[in-house]
Amino acid sequence: MIKKLIFALSALTIFSCQSEQELKTEQYFAEGYQIYTMNCANCHQADGKGMANLYPPLDGSKIIRDKAAMACIMRYGMKGTITVNGKPFNRPMPANAKLQELEIAEVITYVNMKWGKDSTYTPIATVTAALTACKEH
Amino acid sequence: MRSFLNIGYNKLFAFFVVLGLLSACDGGNKKLPILGERDWVTKTVDGKEVTDTIYNVIPPFSFTNQYGDTVTEKIVENKIYVTDFFFTTCPTICPVMKRQMVKVFKEFKDNPDVMILSHTIDPEHDTPQVLNKFAKDLGVEGKQWQFLTGPKEKIYEIGQKSYLSAAQEDKTAEGGFLHSGAFILIDKEKHIRGMYDGTTEEGTQKLIQGIKSLLEEYKK
Ligand code: HEC
Repeated sequence: MIKKLIFALSALTIFSCQSEQELKTEQYFAEGYQIYTMNCANCHQADGKGMANLYPPLDGSKIIRDKAAMACIMRYGMKGTITVNGKPFNRPMPANAKLQELEIAEVITYVNMKWGKDSTYTPIATVTAALTACKEH
Repeated sequence: MRSFLNIGYNKLFAFFVVLGLLSACDGGNKKLPILGERDWVTKTVDGKEVTDTIYNVIPPFSFTNQYGDTVTEKIVENKIYVTDFFFTTCPTICPVMKRQMVKVFKEFKDNPDVMILSHTIDPEHDTPQVLNKFAKDLGVEGKQWQFLTGPKEKIYEIGQKSYLSAAQEDKTAEGGFLHSGAFILIDKEKHIRGMYDGTTEEGTQKLIQGIKSLLEEYKK
């Protein structure tokens, strides 16, 4: 499945002269998908719909549009009561210190293109700036 | 004409083979095995030596559930049950296991012969109140699915020795604990009758089939 996707992507790359931006978008999306599956889908589910009242959905969530917030949530975890799609959630999300800035940017890209309204990738610079800011808080 | 008949016979033959296979499956030899360590004792009955097999049996236990009630082996008396080990803050396989266990729960909901016992392996954090909220958030109410906590040594002991399921603290593991993703099926005689991979859909479906065939066994 992933191999097919990568193959399809590389075929696309060869046959259509794409701008660097489109190329990067595809790369970020494909890698973001894999990282999401390994690190987030346990809780938020592969379809991004979350699980009962335990784990909030990403699909339809307003929070995912705030990329700085997403970067900080991934790196440092989060706790406290939040409301997602009209439903309250209150359960700590563990920090994921393993993820590099590039990987965080790729997950943000995947999540926002899949369940948000983005059509292009989120650059690493956005993540770097966000992480510096949330660390200072 | 001749070749036509031949084909006909072949088909007929194939039909009977399939029929035979189907009825073979129905022949009652799908009984689940009894798992775990076993011992043999030899005793003398009526002057003859006979050997008895002693199977691994789940010993008596005493834990506290998500309502703060004490739960002992009496709660599963004359019931078959599924058990597993988890902790509420686990970032890796437990959320998947719980999603899968919900499917088992829904399949046998309100069946008085079936229960689920989920043990936390992080009792310091997972108090009855924490388990209560966890169960509610998971959408589980009632007493058919019990979330159990208790003295850590007792939980680890029953996990490792009786349910043959690894459960231990490990600071290097993600989330701080090492445990298996097994769903364990116990019969009314307290024997282990199946171990299933609770992290996969395939394992979950096999467990559901296992419960059904065990229920059948007791109908006879
Ligand atoms: C162990 C389960 C778990 C894992 C793994 C996990 N999360 Fe979360 N996540 C949660 C919980 C629980 C909350 C709610 C936190 C709260 O109530 O304060 C949450 C909240 C969020 C939120 C904000 C709320 C929303 O739904 O928009 C985002 C965004 C998010 N997580 C993204 C991720 C991403 C991306 C990953 C993978 C890198 C991830 N999470 C991995 C459990 C998890």
